[in-house]
Amino acid sequence: MKMAGAIIENMSTKKLLIVGVILLLFQVFSFMVGGLIAPSPTTAVPYIATKCVDVVHHNQRKNKWFTPWGPNQCNKIRDFEEATAKRIEANNIVFAVHIPGPNKEMSAWFQFMLVILQFDIAFKMYNQIDDGAVVTIDVGLAYRDDSVSEWTEMAHSIEQRKLSCNFTTEKTIENEGRYYECDLLPFMEVGNVAHKYYLLNIRLPVNERKQVNIGIGEIKDIRLVGIHQNGGFTKVWFAMKTFLTPSILIIMIWYWRRITLMTRPPVLLEKMIFALGLSMTFINIPVEWFSVGFNWTWMLLFGDIRQGIFYAMLLSFWIIFCGEHLMDQTERNRFSVYWKQIGPIVFGSFCLFIFDMCERGVQLKNPFFSIWASEVGTELAMAFIIVAGICACLYFLFLCFMVYQVFRNISGKRSSLPAMTRARRLHYEGLIFRFKFLMLVTLACAAMTVIFFIISQVNEGHWHWGDYTVQVNSAFFTGIYGMWNLYVFALLFLYAPSHKQYGDGQSNGDQGANSGEDIQLTTTITHVDGPTEIYKMTGKESQE
Amino acid sequence: MLDGHLLLGWLSFTVIVYLFSLPGPTTAYFGLTGNEPLSILPLSSQPEERVAKAHYKLCDRLKLEKKQRRMCRRDPGVAETLMEAISLSALECQYQFRYERWNCTLEGRYRANILKRGFKETAFLFAISSAGLTHAMAKACSAGRMERCTCDEAPDLENRKAWQWGGCGDNLKYSNKFVKDFLTKKSNKDLRASVDFHNTLVGMKVIRTGVETTCKCHGVSGSCTVQTCWRQLSPFHDIGKKLKQFYEVSRKVGSSTNEATGEGDISQSRTQQQQQQQQQQQQQQQQQQPPELGSRDTIPKTMDLLHIEDSPSFCRASKYSAGTSARKCYKDKNCDAICCGRGHNTQSRVVTRPCQCQVRWCCYVECKQCTQREEVYTCKG
Repeated sequence: MKMAGAIIENMSTKKLLIVGVILLLFQVFSFMVGGLIAPSPTTAVPYIATKCVDVVHHNQRKNKWFTPWGPNQCNKIRDFEEATAKRIEANNIVFAVHIPGPNKEMSAWFQFMLVILQFDIAFKMYNQIDDGAVVTIDVGLAYRDDSVSEWTEMAHSIEQRKLSCNFTTEKTIENEGRYYECDLLPFMEVGNVAHKYYLLNIRLPVNERKQVNIGIGEIKDIRLVGIHQNGGFTKVWFAMKTFLTPSILIIMIWYWRRITLMTRPPVLLEKMIFALGLSMTFINIPVEWFSVGFNWTWMLLFGDIRQGIFYAMLLSFWIIFCGEHLMDQTERNRFSVYWKQIGPIVFGSFCLFIFDMCERGVQLKNPFFSIWASEVGTELAMAFIIVAGICACLYFLFLCFMVYQVFRNISGKRSSLPAMTRARRLHYEGLIFRFKFLMLVTLACAAMTVIFFIISQVNEGHWHWGDYTVQVNSAFFTGIYGMWNLYVFALLFLYAPSHKQYGDGQSNGDQGANSGEDIQLTTTITHVDGPTEIYKMTGKESQE
Repeated sequence: MLDGHLLLGWLSFTVIVYLFSLPGPTTAYFGLTGNEPLSILPLSSQPEERVAKAHYKLCDRLKLEKKQRRMCRRDPGVAETLMEAISLSALECQYQFRYERWNCTLEGRYRANILKRGFKETAFLFAISSAGLTHAMAKACSAGRMERCTCDEAPDLENRKAWQWGGCGDNLKYSNKFVKDFLTKKSNKDLRASVDFHNTLVGMKVIRTGVETTCKCHGVSGSCTVQTCWRQLSPFHDIGKKLKQFYEVSRKVGSSTNEATGEGDISQSRTQQQQQQQQQQQQQQQQQQPPELGSRDTIPKTMDLLHIEDSPSFCRASKYSAGTSARKCYKDKNCDAICCGRGHNTQSRVVTRPCQCQVRWCCYVECKQCTQREEVYTCKG
């Protein structure tokens, strides 16, 4: 009986180095693509709402939209002193924002559009913001695809947002007119940008009887910030996905063929690696291409789900990888053995999924919805996030414990290695090497992710190197994305069952001695079963 | 020589200066009716006014210089923005100086005379007006008032491509560029001109340093894996406050030996004795200490405001201000300072004040009238 290790065990150091260098080159390339070709990932465009006067608010003309500039622009007022002088009421004021600015148009390549709301509220002695003041916003969103046609309504909603403003200076008469510092308010999120022009009409209706919009201070201006993905970044991203999908797919097919060529059924770890490859492909498949042509608003949610599945897979893989390398004579090789460790992952992901459905899921129906806007929603969201956080902590505790166990067992095995038969020694040495290698690579990848994340957060987004501008943020995204792809690729390649055999010729004699430990050996990837005859032959050929 | 200086002053100044006509040779540049109160300024352009080329009229009314007029006409939004910038900086100046002896009287004659000199006040005026223009321009971009803000460099099609590929630069960058362009003129570099230019730049820099970066996280489930940041103007009140602080620690530069500083010119004109004395003192001081700060062309590269001459006291009526007699002051706060030791009158008055108001966020205030006895203090003449 002959044993086959994973490719990584049987590879010569030279070959391993070559593979490493090639992967590293691809890694550098993926950073360069983001840093040098792509623009920054997103753009934020500030808008100040134009104050329009609705002269005929209460008549029957529905679908009346107020355009801040361009042809057919609305009746404007500059500030509210003017409104007071003209005896215009609050209910007749419409804040209009046209997205994007003059001479520009939106494009499907922008992928998503989210808008943030900010109020400029001046301090007045007799008109201060009440504690826990809530603004009620009557908002409509419309679109059109050329600059002359009528606006078509996309969404309309009455939303409430809690004002959290503080006044940093003393509340005295001298400081009247200074602005409160108000927190950003989430306002709108659209999962796809299918139209060229968008128009937001915002009203802040006052109803004294119902205490609507009373005690919200003296609003001077409404500012919005529109954030969208840059078209150039989207293109680079898509290109990358389109290139990565077949690469991972091909190696997956190759990997699965190797496994099916073996006489034994695949072990858990092999299945897990394959599943990881599947979830990576699931992220990679560039379905986003369709968002350019179709009006699919669920792309954001779908992207979140895909990423969530991949993360859950990756975390599970680490646990199972550690578990299968424990070397403590216990039969595992079953998913159910790991319920304690996988449980938190599943539960945590599920919490985040529910949270995401509550936020982005509802936004499919009402783009102005925000779970953070209401008291209950905030508590619910916080609950989900905290539970997910606890799950994450639990998971890492388990993982650390397992890694510790593995290392303890390794050092235990090390001392008894010389006393073992050759096949067993090679087997354990292979296990140890495999584990240490993955451990190292994983730690390196994680460290890279963290380091680049911090760099991209700390930096202002781009570096200048002479004439070159390096987009740090884009480099982070493409680089890290490329890195995890390479990670999965390397896993699929290096941890595929090898057709080379160690212990040639001698293993026959060892068989009797091994019999007691056969059970244990089956738990690992390197199954006692060798590859099929064809592989044996080709293996022999290649050895010669 | 006098003409040259006024021209320079006007040049880098442009903003407040449009507002009120200056007497003497400069009036010819403006033709705007002098002493016009701010509130009457035609700030809001009515929609019906927005027929083609309507902004040309506005640009003409501002009496701009050739290059500026070209810049003004290029975009219908510019004229409107210029007007707004004027009122923005004027109001802020008055707000910041409301407790001072010089209360930023923008009444034509006084201001014009201050502009001819190199006082701290002059420095402040230059700085606040360029700051106001930068601020107003960036805001106008956000409001969509300007047709060409960012992505302005290339022809239309390329601009569109640039916007679709990687977005455009932020509005502040554009407004900085615009204002620098708008307020810069190549001219002879005497001290006055370069100090004025420096102060103009300070105004722009204050806006730039006052910018806050705000970020929003929008990654998976709203996490911070993806974060977008943008730069946000700080409220103009804060800018004014900062400039006021700069004004208070303004640095004096100048060379007594250099005749081209403009001091010679101005001292020829009807200066009061008092000021001549001041000037002599100042010159003596400068002779005593080595001119470390900027001789002829060297302007220290700082964020400080610079001035050349010491300010007059602004206590008595002069060509720079109406003086502080009969100015309303606040007891225990600034009466001693602004009345210049002449003491103040106390008057007891019954005032009705709005109180217990019912307000809406816009345009509606219903208050009870409360009567109160109040002391009013005014400076003695």
